[in-house]
Formats: sequence, C-alpha cells, structure tokens
Amino acid sequence: MSNKSSELKLYWNKINYAFPILNDTIFSDCTGTEYDEVQQIITGMGIQVKVRDLILIHIEKYLRQHVAPSFWSKFIKVDEEVKGFQLFKSAVNDLYESVSNFSEMLRRLSILNTSCCDNRPIFGEKDVILGFKQLIRATLLSQLPLDYHVIINHFYKMSFNVFDNEYESSDMSEDVMCSGCWNEYSDCNCAYIVKVFHDTNRKLMDLQLLERLTGQVLTNFIQMRIESHIQKLCDGTFDVSHIGFLENWLETTVMSWLTRIYCAGSSKPPPDDKNTQNAIMQFKKKLSYYLYYSYTKLRIEQLFNIIIEYPDSQPAVDDIKLCLDKTDLRSTLCKRLQSALETRLLHPGVNTTDILTAYVSTIRALRHLDSSGVILETVTKPVRSYLRNREDTVRSVVSSLTEEGAGSELAEELAKFAAEVDGENDKDDIWDEWNPDPVDADPKVNSNDRRANDIISMLVNVYGSKELFVNEYRTLLADRLLAHNVINTEKEIRYLELLKLKFGESQLHFCEVMLKDISDSKRINALIQQDKMFEIASKNFTSNAMILSAQFWPPFKDENLELPEEIKQHFEAYTKSYEALKGNRTLSWKPHLGYVSIKIEIGSKNLDLVVSPFNATLIMHFQNKPEWTLDELHQVMKVPVTVLRRKITYWQSMGLISEKCTDTYVLVDDSDANKSNVATNQVQEMICEDDETESVMASAHDQREGELQVFWSYIVGMLTNLDSLPLDRIHQMLKMFASQAPGTECSLQELRQFLDTKVRTHQLILQGGMYKLPKS
Amino acid sequence: MKVTIKNWTGVATWRWVANDDNCGICRMPFDSCCPDCKLPGDDCPLVWGACSHCFHIHCIVKWLHSQPQQQCPMCRQDWKFNNK
Repeated sequence: MSNKSSELKLYWNKINYAFPILNDTIFSDCTGTEYDEVQQIITGMGIQVKVRDLILIHIEKYLRQHVAPSFWSKFIKVDEEVKGFQLFKSAVNDLYESVSNFSEMLRRLSILNTSCCDNRPIFGEKDVILGFKQLIRATLLSQLPLDYHVIINHFYKMSFNVFDNEYESSDMSEDVMCSGCWNEYSDCNCAYIVKVFHDTNRKLMDLQLLERLTGQVLTNFIQMRIESHIQKLCDGTFDVSHIGFLENWLETTVMSWLTRIYCAGSSKPPPDDKNTQNAIMQFKKKLSYYLYYSYTKLRIEQLFNIIIEYPDSQPAVDDIKLCLDKTDLRSTLCKRLQSALETRLLHPGVNTTDILTAYVSTIRALRHLDSSGVILETVTKPVRSYLRNREDTVRSVVSSLTEEGAGSELAEELAKFAAEVDGENDKDDIWDEWNPDPVDADPKVNSNDRRANDIISMLVNVYGSKELFVNEYRTLLADRLLAHNVINTEKEIRYLELLKLKFGESQLHFCEVMLKDISDSKRINALIQQDKMFEIASKNFTSNAMILSAQFWPPFKDENLELPEEIKQHFEAYTKSYEALKGNRTLSWKPHLGYVSIKIEIGSKNLDLVVSPFNATLIMHFQNKPEWTLDELHQVMKVPVTVLRRKITYWQSMGLISEKCTDTYVLVDDSDANKSNVATNQVQEMICEDDETESVMASAHDQREGELQVFWSYIVGMLTNLDSLPLDRIHQMLKMFASQAPGTECSLQELRQFLDTKVRTHQLILQGGMYKLPKS
Repeated sequence: MKVTIKNWTGVATWRWVANDDNCGICRMPFDSCCPDCKLPGDDCPLVWGACSHCFHIHCIVKWLHSQPQQQCPMCRQDWKFNNK
C-alpha cells in the first residue's frame, strides 16, 4: 500500500516536472523523451482529462495573478510621451515574453489534449494554443484599468510623428531638431522608434490584441488626421470637386500606414493571412465612411455660402450630392441649412431683393442637389413664410421679373420658360430614369408637382395664389405707364406676352387693355390737336391726355385738387373735343395725376422742370400772389392742410418758397433764390425722387379693405338678428350667403383681422370670443 | 417770377353718357365690355333704342336674333335703333 502511494507520489512529481504550472511556476527542463514517459504514465492511469483540466485551471490562475497584473501595472498615467512610449513597449515585450515562456508547456499540453478523446473545446477553441490565446485576451481584458489608453496614446502619437515626418520630409527645413522625434539630428531616434513600433505591433498582432487595445486609439488618430486634412483642403473654395482627391488620399496615404501597422512594416498584407486582410478591410470601410461623413459635415456647414455662390460652386454641390447617398446626413443638412438661412437671411437687416436672390439660388442649387425637390421644400419653408410677411415681396419679384439687363435672373428665367413651353412633350422618354421619392417626402404632395415647379412658380407660390401676384404687376404697370418718363410700350407688350405664357391669358387681360389705352390715347391726342375748336383754347400751351378705361385699371388713390382756372378751361375744351370725336362718351379728369413740364423764370435764371400737377398748381398760385397761408391755399386748391404742408417742401427745397412764419409761405426774393438754389440742389433731387416713387394707385391692402367692406353689411345683418356670434360661425355664414360678392375668397385669418379693425373703431364688441354689435 | 406751362399731360377716364351703369342684358358695366369682347370702348360700343334704353351692341344684337319679335328687353316696346 505504501509502495503504491510512493509510486503515486513519484508519478505526481513527474507530472509536476512536466507541467510546473501546477506549482505556480513556468520553467522546467523537461525534454521530449522525458515527457513521453510522463504521457505514458498519465494515459496508463487514464487520468488525461483530469490532469488537463487541472493544468488549465492553474494556467488560468497564474495568468490572473501574475501575467495580467504585471502587464497592466505599466499602464499608469504619465505626462511625457517618451516615458509612455517606453512603458508601452516594455509592457508588450514583457507580456510577449511571458506568453512565449508558456510555449514549451503548451506543446506538451497539446500532446496531452490529443490523448483525451472527449473533444471538449478549450475556452471555446479546438486547439490548445488558440484556446490559450483566447484565455490571455479574456484575462487581460477582464482586468482592463481605466486609464489604459494613456500610454497607448503616447506610443502611437510618437510613432505617427515619425511616420508623418517620413512622408512629408520633402521640405526639409534647416531645423536642428528632427521633427519626428524632437531630438537633435545628431542623435535622431526615428529609426529606433520605427523599429520598436513595428516590433510592438507585430507582437500585439501575434497575440491578437492589436485591434482590441489600439483600435480605438488608431481610429481616433486617423480620424483626426482625416479631419484636419479635409479642413486644410476644402477651406472656402467651392469651385473644385474634392471627393476624388480625398478618396485617392485615403487609398494611398492612410491605407498604406494602416497596412504597415498591421503587417509589421511591409506595405502589402501577406496574401495568405486572411485575418490581417479582413482587419484591414474592416478598417478601410470604417475610415472611408468617416471620410465621407466629415467631408459632408464640413460642406453642410458651408452650404449657405455654397448656395450664394451657385452656379460657380456647382462642383461642391456635386460632391454633397454624391456623399449624401453614402452618409445619413440628409436630415442634418435640412436642419443646418434651415438654421443658417434663418440666422443669415431672414432678419430685418436684409433687403427683400437680396432675400429673393438668395432664395432663387437656393432653389437652383437644391434642385441640382436633389431633383425630387423634397429637401428644397423642407428647407425653404421658413423662407417662404418670411417672405409672405414682407410687404414689398411681390413688388420686388414683379420688378425683377420685368427688369432688363444683368442681375435680373428672374427676367432671364421668364424668357427661358417661354422657350421651354414648346418642348414639353418629351416627358415619356425618361420613364427609365424614374426614382421613387425619398423617405422624408410629404406623401400628400404629388411628386410630379414638386419636381416640375420652376423658379418663378416657386416665387409666386410664396403667396399661394397668382391673383395677388398679377394684381401687384398690374399696379406696378399702372405706375410705370403714368410716370412721366417715356415708357417703352413695345418692351412692356413683350413682357406682357411672356407673363401671359406663365399665368394665362385671362389673368392678364386687364393689363392688355391698359397698354392699349395708352397707345389709343396717343392717337386720340393727335386727332384732338388737329381739331380747330381746340386749337384756339390751347394756344398758350400744348397738352396731352391719357385716357384710361377705368374698369380695367387698378383703383386710383382718392385725391382732390382744384386746378387753376386756365387749366380747367383747357381741359373742358379737350373734353368737348373728345365728345365730338367719340359720340356719347365723355371724360372725367383725374386732376392730381399726370405730369407738367414748366419753365420758371426767376431773376436771370431759367428753370426747366417736370413736376406733378399739384406742384405746378401751387407754384402758379404763388405767381399771382407772393404770400399765402396754408388755409388760403386750402381754400383755392381744396387739398387738406396736412397734405399741403407735406408737399410744399418740394418748392422749399428748390429754394423758391420759404416759410415766413408758421403756416405762412412766401415766394423767395430773386437774388436769394440763386444762392439757395445751388445749395439745395442735392435735397431737391432727393425729394423729387421721393415724390415720384410714391404710387398713385391705391395699395393692395386698401383694395382688399374695400372688398371686405362688402361683407360688413352682411355681418351687421347677421349680428342684428342673432345677437352674438363666434368668428367661425360668421365665416361660415358669409361663405353661404355672400359667396356672390366679389373677392369672396376670404380666409378666416383675414376675416379676423377685418373684424378686429372694426372692434378697434368701436363698431363691434368682442366678448368672450363672441362678436356683438354695440348697443346704440 | 414767371411760370410758363410748356406741356400739361393730364389723366382722364372715359365713360359712356348713359342713363344707367350696367348693361341690362349682360349686367356688365357699360364702361367695360360685353362678355364676348376683350377690349372696351370702340370695339364694344353701346347702342340706344328709340325707347331710350341702351345696351352693348353685341348684347342687343344677340338678343334680337334670338327673339321672334324685335322688342326691347327692358320695356317690351318694339326695338328701333336710335341713330342720334
């Protein structure tokens, strides 16, 4: 029995000799032949599985207690890069060494393992060596300290510096310091660093720890480099496409680094090593996504400027278009561009025309970027609602539509549209280029409409209706036709034809009549001038008249003006002559409209002026009597005193009239006139200008007010019968009963505003959301 | 100071001298044109009947063509053009 136990002890010692790990050491002199004997003993006793499992447990314990702690103990927070570099290097070296110390024992263990026929996996792997590596990784990572990346960072930072230096060494400066390792050239460390770097990487690769330990650090580094490279490359220039260069740069420069890191210095991955190739491919995918991502991000930040410079910046837009498909930045783009537009464009400091220009180039650029128009629709929503609130939008659009010469893109656009109308039937040919709408499209809107919208209709759609737009055009046209500079009727007719193509014949019918009125007036004038009767009356001065069809012109501002007697007589003669010419028709004059060219002789000076009838009348009164009070002028001219006071400034600025005391004006003495005339030349021009730019037409707002006034009688009737009503009831009833009246498309919003003005003038009472008539 | 007017360009609107504002047939203003016309005035003139009612010429001609008897649509008297 004791014999047996001593025999067992001997066996156990021999097993311990072959596998010293059982005593928590690694080193043993056990040779191959010695081990064969041990192996026989083990198989003889049939305890292979038990011994193997025991060894594995001991290995695990050893790794946990010795290898991992000593490895991680090097990972401390240090500030100097060199120290970090050394620490990481020695940590990896030590680890590699202690792992390779296991190799002998592992070889024996794998022999032992083959003799166990249970096929049990070792730490998830079939092979002992692989299982062991798995165990190392698991053990190490289970003890990962918090600051482990500090020295890894140092290590790679230093190495990258050297690499960078290698690549950019073409412009060697005369520094005494090597910019790779920051040592003097005499004892440059670069070669050493590169060697250590590759060595360490190889070891980590061998342990399959490279990806896990350094992957993040590497990625961070490369991402930083990509970002700074993009920043450097794409700063402020939009007229070159960069994406090709960037892809090339990633492929050549960045990827060759990576390959060298993964393959320990060689620039090509070993063809048989699938692992390395896979790792590099994975990395490349990540990096190229990151490249697109950061490039697109940068471009999105610059998008506002890109749009302003469009079409010069088209390459940049092309780049974004390409990148948007590869990245998920669509919604970011919408959001960023929208906020850029809001902060840079949509505030009171920007002229309406500038906003419109920006809007037009936004439409162009985004249409190019996304042909479905969804981005455009989303992004420009705030622009449209802002433009809707600006009073002069329609006016600016219309005037830029009809403006000629450079800078009026809209006019060009209009002409282009006219050219395009004919070639519209090729739509069926492009069916195979059809693409579905993007996911963020509004399903309620027909995608064809969205695609087909051209720039002008986008502008007109700001208001949702073309009526308003056409009305504004009519007002502008009326102003231009009545303004005293000679208008180019042919040009106006040409534009009218263009606009007709766009808005339809019926909308612009009124404008057509207006233009015809002007040309007819010329003919009638010529005929009347030949009239004998009229010739007698007009011997003092010549006169023309513009004879308008009142129904077709926009309503004129109601202004009164009593003309001097001789002018009145003249007009009466003209009217008589007209009546004789056109049977059964007569004229009603608008005395405040038109223009007068007068000559003023004052002292030795002659002034030739073109002034409004008002100013002409005023100065003629001063010719007869040098001193007037406002009240007297009001008596003869029938113009409100306030208007008089405002308008008399014209002659004051000319230096012909001065205010003697409050509300009393005198003609300025001849000699004074000469002096002040020169001095005030500037002012005169300014005020002159001011006078003319004022529209003679009633504003759109006033016109609308007039239309709404029609409703008022209905509303009063309603409220008399039903006592009090809420807003939407009134709106409904109006829709029902007053739908025949003109201007019936009255929105709830408009009605509310209208009723509010009534409340303000005490014609209505608003009580708890109900409108009521005040008790009289 | 002497002010001389060289040229005075005035603005006036024309209207028909009629005893009503709207055409009794098309209900459009006389100063506008009948629904079939585009241009008012010379292109769409008024005519007076012996009964002193007046209409757009196109309106009354159309009316007379569609009626068995030539009557003024307003007063049912026999329609005669008043060539005054």
